[in-house]
Amino acid sequence: MRYAAFVLFLVVLVAEPAEAQIYWEGGSDFTEFNVPYDGRFTFVRLSFTPLNDGWGGRRRRRSQYWWDHDWPYAETNLVKLLRELTDVRPFMEGSNILAADDPELLKYPVAYVSEPGHWTLAGEEAAGLRNYLLKGGFLIFDDFADSYYGGAYEWSIFERGMLQVLPDARPVRLDFSHPIFHSFFEIDSLELRHPYQPVYAEFWGIFEDNDPDKRLLVIANYNADIGDYWEWSDQGWYPIPLSNEAYKLGINYIVYAMTH
Amino acid sequence: MGSPPATVFEFLFKYRPVVFDNGQFVLHAPWPVLLFIVIGLALVIPPLLSYVRLGGKLGTADKALLAVLRVSVLAVLVFCLLRPMLVVPTVVPQENYLGILLDDSRSMQVADAGQARSEFIREQFGPEGSELLTGLSERFKLRFFRFSESLQRISGSDELTFTGSQTRLGHALDEARSELSTLPLAGLIVFTDGADNSEDPLTESVLQLRSRGVPVHTVGIGREQFERDIEIARVEAPRVVLEGSAVAVDVMVTHTGFGGETVQLNVEDGGRIVSAQAVELQGEGEVTTVRAHFEVTETGPRLFRFRILPELEELVDENNERDVLIHVRDRREKILYFEGEPRFEVKFLRRAIAEDDNLHVVILQRTADNKFQRYDVEQADELAGGFPTTREELFQYRGIILGSVEASFFTHGQLEMIAEFVGQRGGGLLALGGRNALGQGGYAGTPISNILPVVLEPRPENDSSTFFSEVSVELTPTGRSHPVTQLSPTPEGSAERWAGLPALSTVNPVFEVKPGASTLLTGHGNGAEGVVVLAAQRFGRGRVVAFPVQDSWIWQMHADIPLDDMTHESFWRQLLRWLVSSVPDQVHAAVPKDRAGVGERLTITTEVVDSAYLKVNDAHATARVTTPSGLEQALDMEWTVERDGEYEASFVADENGLYEISVEVNRDGELLGNATSFVEVAEPVEEYFGAQMRSTLLRRVAEETGGRFYTPQTVGSLPEDVRYTESGSTVYEEKDLWDMPIVFFLLLGLVATEWGYRRARGLI
Repeated sequence: MRYAAFVLFLVVLVAEPAEAQIYWEGGSDFTEFNVPYDGRFTFVRLSFTPLNDGWGGRRRRRSQYWWDHDWPYAETNLVKLLRELTDVRPFMEGSNILAADDPELLKYPVAYVSEPGHWTLAGEEAAGLRNYLLKGGFLIFDDFADSYYGGAYEWSIFERGMLQVLPDARPVRLDFSHPIFHSFFEIDSLELRHPYQPVYAEFWGIFEDNDPDKRLLVIANYNADIGDYWEWSDQGWYPIPLSNEAYKLGINYIVYAMTH
Repeated sequence: MGSPPATVFEFLFKYRPVVFDNGQFVLHAPWPVLLFIVIGLALVIPPLLSYVRLGGKLGTADKALLAVLRVSVLAVLVFCLLRPMLVVPTVVPQENYLGILLDDSRSMQVADAGQARSEFIREQFGPEGSELLTGLSERFKLRFFRFSESLQRISGSDELTFTGSQTRLGHALDEARSELSTLPLAGLIVFTDGADNSEDPLTESVLQLRSRGVPVHTVGIGREQFERDIEIARVEAPRVVLEGSAVAVDVMVTHTGFGGETVQLNVEDGGRIVSAQAVELQGEGEVTTVRAHFEVTETGPRLFRFRILPELEELVDENNERDVLIHVRDRREKILYFEGEPRFEVKFLRRAIAEDDNLHVVILQRTADNKFQRYDVEQADELAGGFPTTREELFQYRGIILGSVEASFFTHGQLEMIAEFVGQRGGGLLALGGRNALGQGGYAGTPISNILPVVLEPRPENDSSTFFSEVSVELTPTGRSHPVTQLSPTPEGSAERWAGLPALSTVNPVFEVKPGASTLLTGHGNGAEGVVVLAAQRFGRGRVVAFPVQDSWIWQMHADIPLDDMTHESFWRQLLRWLVSSVPDQVHAAVPKDRAGVGERLTITTEVVDSAYLKVNDAHATARVTTPSGLEQALDMEWTVERDGEYEASFVADENGLYEISVEVNRDGELLGNATSFVEVAEPVEEYFGAQMRSTLLRRVAEETGGRFYTPQTVGSLPEDVRYTESGSTVYEEKDLWDMPIVFFLLLGLVATEWGYRRARGLI
């Protein structure tokens, strides 16, 4: 047992620098970061101040940003698929990381938020996001789950942030009949296993005025991490059908956001 | 009594100009002309010789001058001996008739010469009589008529009411000529202000009189220009608009004596002021065009009144307002938006018009090659096959928005069909910018480029460079008054608002518009100075707009735009409403004007096309006319034969109020369509517009028929002048010219000059 723990320690020790290398030494196809607006669809990831300054929460014991999970391969791979499969002509050479209160965010009506189970929002950030959503922006929340410890810890953190943004927001669980699951690919099942946690995805939406007949402002992939599927899809870590499902969701979200 | 110049003329030449105008010049010498030549030579040669031989101190120039003077004197004498005279046709007294036409219209009540114009007529032809009447009745048998909408024989001026609602001068001349055609007619005399406000062509009437040799003498009553008056000369408004639309109406104001002054223009809808603005009037003689903006909120036929509040000292108040009937429709106009790639314009356009019940944008979006998504379709199979391939399918829409989709996507037939959609069907086309739009989409040289308001530069082959520029927009002078670009109640406010909007971006370098197009917005940015942002033009029956930017949604999302700002929504609603506001239906019914008088015959014209918008001649069209009191009259409409697809019927409006005309058209038992039009029947007010005396018109009528033009000041010579005519029963009078005072003065002048010259030179 002690041996097993030692091996695990070594794996973690080796894996962390390897992960850091991917993060900071490049390796994705992106050559530009925070690119200027040029009218094309550009992937935008929202940055935020993590809970406890990034110190771990209950799960992890290391400092990290949280919002950067799966960056940049998730977006690199998604925009490639977007270009290959659809008539969207996305910006291929870079993506943007913008804060919720950055005026630049308003030039990109779709934004992706990773790990909202660890997000915090300052007052200006909440106001910025509220403005963004009500003007016509669309947010995709991903990579938050509650499986290890039971309860709904990450959900509650996500929900607390959303209530700062939209105090009356009442998330509604979506089923596959919602048009967002048919905007490009016909998705007829929402059974998607989390890549590395023993949970299945749930898709939640927040509607304008909490009216499901009105505009969908937010989609939240709870107990899911489709960004992780995107990130590792070309590495053979995950079964292709699961990566495919993740791509289908991502592409549908973006096409939907461009029309609804 | 004649005018001073005429009196001087008559004094010098013994007769009045009319005699010279009508007379023929002849020499009536009692002896042979040869004898005169001999006498003339005998008189001229000796003095000439004596001048030649004369020596002394006279130079050649002196001799020549004296010789010329002497010869001139002798020539005048010889001319007198030849007995020159005028032979003038003159009517035989009391054998000829004279038609006297008196204007009985309302404009004769205008008191612009110290008294009402009608007073002059009453004075001249009243029971007390006048010099004029006596002069005329001594020479002619008189027939009196009054005229306004029509011509009626009267026995005296007491039958005049001066309440006629129209002045139809041509019609009156035709009728009088016809009524007096069997009599020896010496001419017609028309007493009028010449304020003809009919649509009858006057030329035809004048030609008829001229060919029959009937002179028309015109007496212009009133002033050619009022001292101080404001008039709404014309109002140009759409006849049909959608409920909730912002309407722009051009009001043309003329005036005299108010140059540089500011007056107030109100627009009233059923007594409620919907727009009020101050108008600074242009200089004398210039037309001030004002664009009034207001929103139409109530459906149905609405009578809008455009009114300039009367100013003090205005001669005529009634011409300060005009009514316009606008049919405000509550219907959903269906527009097809074809977008070639997923992009945010679709989302934000849908949001912009979501609250507009009168616009229905059906979206066909290509999401991948041969993969389409449809939004907001009405039937399950609508657009199921992609972009329409038949006229019937495409022409059901009233507008098309072309997004970023390359020209090669379409067949040539589809491109032609889109052009016909505008040119023949009368639909609206909006071409958006984008990387596959306009020139970048390969549209140069296609049927679409022919109809666009902008000039497309062909994309160079193998050119992979991409034009991109962020552009700040600026409202052009044309845009300041265009209904699409009104973001504020005033043009200044709109211009300021546009200038304050965040920059958009364009990938379509469009810098040139076609000659007939209007540029409404231009852009300024890096490498895009003066780029066209919004341009529009008419093509055939429809409208085409180019909006070569790719992200108008920035006007909704940008950080500088407040959350509750409605600029983006207003702009898109106004743009799309304007695009489809005048698109005809399959059945279109119209009456020539929206306002008529009681007793007027109105013709209903209906144009009928089938679902492919091809004209239909074998339909059965019925018009149902509902009078203001609710009576219904059904009229069968006849194909006019002259024009394909056009049917006509007419009715007489016999009561004041709003008439509703509903037309239903069937073919082979199948309904092709129906249409509704309205006409307001009311007391005509045209008499108060353009009520100044029109001397140019009256002079033309007189001159072209061989008559003369008079004013109340010169009319005294009329009885004498009218005598000289070839019309009617005439004799020829000889008028000697040798004893004209001018001849005597000429002789006297020549002799005096010769004497004076001799004296100056010391010859006497």
